[in-house]
Amino acid sequence: MAKVSVLNVAVLENPSPFHSPFRFEISFECSEALADDLEWKIIYVGSAESEEFDQILDSVLVGPVPAGRHMFVFQADAPNPSLIPETDAVGVTVVLITCTYHGQEFIRVGYYVNNEYPNPELRENPPPKPDFSQLQRNILASNPRVTRFHINWDNNTDRLEAIENHGPALGCGFPLSCTPIKGLGLPGCIPGLLPENSMDCI
Amino acid sequence: MKLLKPTWVNHNGKPIFSVDIHPDGTKFATGGQGQDSGKVVIWNMSPVLQEDDEKDENVPKMLCQMDNHLACVNCVRWSNSGMYLASGGDDKLIMVWKRATYIGPGTVLGSSGKLANVEQWRCVSILRSHSGDVMDVAWSPHDAWLASCSVDNTVVIWNTAKFPEILATLRGHSGLVKGLTWDPVGKYIASQADDRSLKVWRTLDWQLETSITKPFDECGGTTHVLRLSWSPDGHYLVSAHAMNNSGPTAQIIEREGWKTNMDFVGHRKAVTVVKFNPKIFKKKQKNGSSAKPSCPYCCCAVGSKDRSLSVWLTCLKRPLVVIHELFDKSIMDISWTLNGLGILVCSMDGSVALLDFSQDELGDPLSEEEKSRIHQSTYGKSLAIMTETQLSTAVIENPEILKYQRRQQQQQQLDQKGSAARETGSATSVTGVVNGESLEDIRKNLLKKQAETRTADGRRRITPLCIAQLDTGDFSTAFSNSIPLSGSLAGTMLTSHSSPQLLPLDSSTPVPFGTSKPSTEPVAATGTRPVGDSVSKDSVNAAAAPAAPSPILTTPSKIEPMTAFDSRFTERSKATPGAPALAGLTPTAMERLKEQSLVKELRPRDVLERRAKPSSLSKRKLELEVETVEKKKKRRPRKDSRLMPTSLSVQSPAALTAEKDAVCLSVPAAALKLPMPGPQRAFTLQVSSDPSMYIEVENEVTAVGGIKLSRLKCSREGKQWETVLTSRILTAAGSCDVVCVACEKRMLSVFSTCGRRLLPPILLPSPISTLHCTGSYVMALTVTATLSVWDVHRQIVVVKEKSLHSILAGSDMTVSQILLTQHGIPVINLSDGKAYCFNPSLSAWNLVSDKQDALAQCADFRSSLPPQDAMLCSGPLAIVQGRASTSGRQAARLFSVPHMVQQEATLAYLESQVAAALTLRSSHEYRHWLLLYVRYLVNEGFEYRLREICKDLLGPVHSSTGSQWESTVVGLRKRNLLKELLPVIGQNLRFQRLFTEFQEQLDILRDK
Repeated sequence: MAKVSVLNVAVLENPSPFHSPFRFEISFECSEALADDLEWKIIYVGSAESEEFDQILDSVLVGPVPAGRHMFVFQADAPNPSLIPETDAVGVTVVLITCTYHGQEFIRVGYYVNNEYPNPELRENPPPKPDFSQLQRNILASNPRVTRFHINWDNNTDRLEAIENHGPALGCGFPLSCTPIKGLGLPGCIPGLLPENSMDCI
Repeated sequence: MKLLKPTWVNHNGKPIFSVDIHPDGTKFATGGQGQDSGKVVIWNMSPVLQEDDEKDENVPKMLCQMDNHLACVNCVRWSNSGMYLASGGDDKLIMVWKRATYIGPGTVLGSSGKLANVEQWRCVSILRSHSGDVMDVAWSPHDAWLASCSVDNTVVIWNTAKFPEILATLRGHSGLVKGLTWDPVGKYIASQADDRSLKVWRTLDWQLETSITKPFDECGGTTHVLRLSWSPDGHYLVSAHAMNNSGPTAQIIEREGWKTNMDFVGHRKAVTVVKFNPKIFKKKQKNGSSAKPSCPYCCCAVGSKDRSLSVWLTCLKRPLVVIHELFDKSIMDISWTLNGLGILVCSMDGSVALLDFSQDELGDPLSEEEKSRIHQSTYGKSLAIMTETQLSTAVIENPEILKYQRRQQQQQQLDQKGSAARETGSATSVTGVVNGESLEDIRKNLLKKQAETRTADGRRRITPLCIAQLDTGDFSTAFSNSIPLSGSLAGTMLTSHSSPQLLPLDSSTPVPFGTSKPSTEPVAATGTRPVGDSVSKDSVNAAAAPAAPSPILTTPSKIEPMTAFDSRFTERSKATPGAPALAGLTPTAMERLKEQSLVKELRPRDVLERRAKPSSLSKRKLELEVETVEKKKKRRPRKDSRLMPTSLSVQSPAALTAEKDAVCLSVPAAALKLPMPGPQRAFTLQVSSDPSMYIEVENEVTAVGGIKLSRLKCSREGKQWETVLTSRILTAAGSCDVVCVACEKRMLSVFSTCGRRLLPPILLPSPISTLHCTGSYVMALTVTATLSVWDVHRQIVVVKEKSLHSILAGSDMTVSQILLTQHGIPVINLSDGKAYCFNPSLSAWNLVSDKQDALAQCADFRSSLPPQDAMLCSGPLAIVQGRASTSGRQAARLFSVPHMVQQEATLAYLESQVAAALTLRSSHEYRHWLLLYVRYLVNEGFEYRLREICKDLLGPVHSSTGSQWESTVVGLRKRNLLKELLPVIGQNLRFQRLFTEFQEQLDILRDK
């Protein structure tokens, strides 16, 4: 059972100019005091096409975490525009918040992000080279896509952890286009964890 | 029969493997497959049962969902108490859930549609032992044990008192164990497995009783579950998937010799689940039909892989009903409603169906007593089959039970503490306040406030802000027995527990069951079980009241040791004569009440707790407490008799004078000859200590010329004066304003504080008995029992030679204490506990206090007491009534007084207190009791009386000359009083109109 469950992620200052930092207010609940810190990351997906354009905007350790409900604000600088393909600067992309414990990712919250020019003129005739200072970032805060992974919360390093460690690695560059319904889900990413109770389906 | 498929009960199309209805019938749980985990959902029952609720968007359908299981949930089961939910899944875990009351509704992040969790259920224990999928879990009767079975071929018995302690691991199956059922008597547990066997295990030693294989020889391991069931009368065990002549059946196994002669036949595929109705039925007696006594029978629902459901009555050869095509896939689980008239069925196809029967179709359900009578006649006396009432009078037969009960008591205490803590906690969390700061404020400044540091390797590290503590210790404390017994009460309880244990027991009585816990079923059955937190005090109390006295009344006939209790009760009743009987209470119950009143430990919360939970356990606890008191009494016998003479508190000057004058008058009233103080050579009297004031009297001081004079000396804060009188001084009294002395020859002289004679001597009608001074009032009680009070400053008579005849006549009472209030009102305390004051304006004696007042004893207004100054009201009323005695005793006795009676008694008591305080012109006490009274009226919702009070206090808004209205009462401005009362009235929203009405008028008056 997951020791940490994320209760809410509030997107602060949304919409905001492209260059302003991301701010997420994260509240989570911890059922047992954690021995080590949680690591939170904000990943900005520069291009849906390839994970090579993913930018880790920031990563913080959060701790100590006793049992209880906690909250913190995770602030990270805006993505570096120079790392974003020009063709992907305007339009819909994704920002991910992930949390890992002992290097195992157990939750991934994804938001669709729409970057557009608020100025109608610019919207009609976008400059050939994107003008990031004019872009507005709008996070679709009402519709987070949450994927949870089962990890080993205890210290004893067994087989499970080894398997799970692959999970985030595989999932990092998740294909946005893959399943529109499941959105940011990671189909097939952790096949070993899918329950096998299909025996009585006759 | 009605059939309904609530489509909204689903796991988003994923299979539902298990369903279980909460014992109180208000909710049910489903377990199954979630999106990428196991899923447990708790649903509201009312939208299933009532169409209106289904349509009403304000009625939540889903109460809570828990995605914590890592893999598919195979079984969800509520504990019999309804407090816990156990779930077992493919992740090899059993999770035990408890409702967390301290947090408000929350959402599941990212769940589509933002479904809010209306209730919060928290996993309080994770049970890890199985090395394979957990297929079924089952709570034993009375929740002492939890059993789980798994594909690892074992059954594990968990100790619910000490999760995750394992009591036993039952090994013997050689295949996946897929179903469990407890014997309703608690003697056996049965398990069915893929190894083509059904095994019955004894709970006494957790060894195999029998293994039944024959009916399963032909079976293949093709069903996901094998949920077998034991009939509520204990006679039959019905298996899931069995084969008879290559046809699938549900095998009936008789308890007698584990014979397998009968089966339920008809399903075309393997039976997955069998579930007996918890009720035993008997034929509905129809008018006109021959009234031959019919045999009770049971009802059983059978679900199968052939997707059909059959319902059987054991008195019929054919099924009562068979429903085909109800689901698209195999039936997985069945749960009966507590009343036995409905079932929920869930299927692999992810849907749930409700079947609703009428009593005509099933028959008349037997009551719990009848059911237990069947158990008793069949299996003898066993703790597991005891009902609530029996349990309360039962002798403890096993030390395990002793321990368990103690734990239960501790748990109750802890629960009380916990709930108290949670009440405060919830208040903060509901309003979202942390350390006096609202959550909103916190959120605004969170970024600035949160502590951010750098780790050694230069990484950012944020310390999160804790916004709520979790009661994670909840379960361990609630269930753990490691808490040391606290206080002497526990110690005496221990002894009182063990003493009946030594009494001779019926040796033939089997003790198959180690622990016991009262079932809450009867509570639910009465229909008064409160839903949610909106506990209607009235209804609960009404339900509790008739139940409480019953254990005592049933005691003598049932079990011998209890008669010992009983004889003591009668003993007690001799010791306390003249107890006024309370309406509707038997003498025994009355005695009980008296006993309980002595239990100091009783607090309002206890009482409420007990009232709210009329469980046998609390009753048992009460009895034990009674016994404890009994023991204490034996050590210090008749302590209460010493309490009878009023001991005065030295808080007011009036009291002081009274105490100084501790001459108890004990002449029989019939003669009406009160004692006369004899002449003394000299005596000293302290009038007050602050300012310190003494009167010294020296009689027969020889002065010049052989004349004998008496000297009166008075010293007040160092200043002295003295004077001489011609006759001997018999008694003296003083106040801050006057000093008076009564001399021989019936002379009464009064002096000012400086020694100036204020009046020529007053000639009393007869010799003096007692003299009193308060303020400028002088009271003289003569030996012929006439009472006079004068105001020496204004030189008027307040009470003129009033005889005590009327209050002393006819009995051999004596005056135990007299006092004079600051307003010159004499109060006479009599030896029978009554106190009268003389009301000069009415020229009549008023009864202001009665120690034996039944009203005072069953009045409960503690809820209306302001928390801080609970009884910190001193004054003449408090003095005559003896303040301490009133508060301790009332509350203890209410839980067995019907609420109506209690309410009326409380009202009457409070009203008499208000009136008494008014008559005594004690403004402080008047205000105190008026406030209490109004609070009580507000709490209990008496509008008319409230209105009358408000009207009187407000008076005419537009002054008219003809108005008789006085703007003050005992020196208090009425409108100021009203201002004080209005906020109290405003607390009850029912009276918001009353509140605004009078508030507005007050505002108008203020503006004038």
